[in-house]
Amino acid sequence: MKTDFIKITGLKKNFGDLEVLKGIDLTVAEKEVVVIIGPSGSGKSTLLRCINYLEEPTGGSIVFDDIPLNGEANINEVRKEVGMVFQRFNLFPHMTVLENLVLAPMKVRHMHRDEAEKIAKEYLTKVGLIEKSDAYPEQLSGGQQQRVAIARALCMRPKALLFDEPTSALDPEMINEVLDVMKSLANDGMTMVVVTHEMGFAREVGDRVLFVDGGYIVEQGTPDEVFSHPKEERTQSFLSKIL
Amino acid sequence: MNFNLEIITNAMPLLLAGAGITIEVSALSVGFGLAIGCIISLIRMTSIKPLRWFGNVYVDFIRGTPLLVQIFLVYFALPALIGHRVDAFFAAISACSINSGAYVAEIFRGGIQSIDKGQMEAGRSLGMTWWQTMRFIILPQAFKRIIPPLGNEFIAMLKDSSLVSVIGFEELTRRGQLIIARTYASFEIWLAVALIYLLMTFAVARLVSRLERRYDTSR
Repeated sequence: MKTDFIKITGLKKNFGDLEVLKGIDLTVAEKEVVVIIGPSGSGKSTLLRCINYLEEPTGGSIVFDDIPLNGEANINEVRKEVGMVFQRFNLFPHMTVLENLVLAPMKVRHMHRDEAEKIAKEYLTKVGLIEKSDAYPEQLSGGQQQRVAIARALCMRPKALLFDEPTSALDPEMINEVLDVMKSLANDGMTMVVVTHEMGFAREVGDRVLFVDGGYIVEQGTPDEVFSHPKEERTQSFLSKIL
Repeated sequence: MNFNLEIITNAMPLLLAGAGITIEVSALSVGFGLAIGCIISLIRMTSIKPLRWFGNVYVDFIRGTPLLVQIFLVYFALPALIGHRVDAFFAAISACSINSGAYVAEIFRGGIQSIDKGQMEAGRSLGMTWWQTMRFIILPQAFKRIIPPLGNEFIAMLKDSSLVSVIGFEELTRRGQLIIARTYASFEIWLAVALIYLLMTFAVARLVSRLERRYDTSR
């Protein structure tokens, strides 16, 4: 039996009068890959961003590894353990690739530079960009930037990674290089929550697929259950539009 | 009208010494203004309400009143409050610094706000604190963008510091007035004073554009 790593109960989020999340219950087990799909505006990105408090939830509770998340009080402790990969990469443009990778381990984990660089180089090799160590982000293609962003998150040695539409800002020919890195992470046993429009990836890599619409989890199950035998009408209509 | 070049050459040493003092007052004021502006812009971004309120009132008051009146406040009104007179140099520097601080605070705020929100999110998502993200990620990027407006602020201060002549502080403009009082050569002297200001502002503008280019290539 796998242990629960992330446990979300009754999560609500309002932006002013707009209710974006209306009560989400979600448990993510260790080493599980959960893929969240849904139409735009359904709240799937907001859900992901609430998990590490980039958006402050309006209600509900989030527990990581048995530690209840209580806002600014312990958020940095949790963020150390839960990395995030953004749609628009958000690399630090004034730093080289290597500097991007060693900054947080040195400042947050108080690692020595030598050690941080050793880890950084290990992950740059893993994402196939070791030869770009001294390049600046703007000198890289979108796909390369996103692979650096993944390596940057990995350098904190997180226990889980959140992916917020990691391939949506990429040119089509660069999507696969990023998905391949994500697949290999999943194979290594990384706990992952992925918001994506890449249904092929969801089907192949996901242990569980969640369909989110209107602020609720409408349906969830194995990729085969959700993609091949969707029970809910809203899931069926969404899938018929995109598949 | 006779144009008397000799008056200008005779006055030049005095005027140039005055220009030196103008540069000194401007540099000190913008220097202190940088420190004040940095602090003010940071406290305007905190979640502590009284601090934020103070920052806003400060910037609104300074930007909403003339520098000349601010100089009078420090030189004439402050002594009435504290009971002894204020040195002209101190009054000039403090009025100009306080004034510059408000404008620099706005420049900083603009620079910081121009940095993509994703940068703060990326820093925070890696477990860095707000201040660490500010210091290592946001401010270094913002700094590059505020060089041109800071240069403009320094140029503005070079010119506006002429206002401290009204409290008898002997910078370039005041020197000009004093020489004219002696020689009555107002055309020659004001022309010379104007040209010296022009030379100074032009030099600073060139320096700023060089700095700008250097930071652009080396990131």
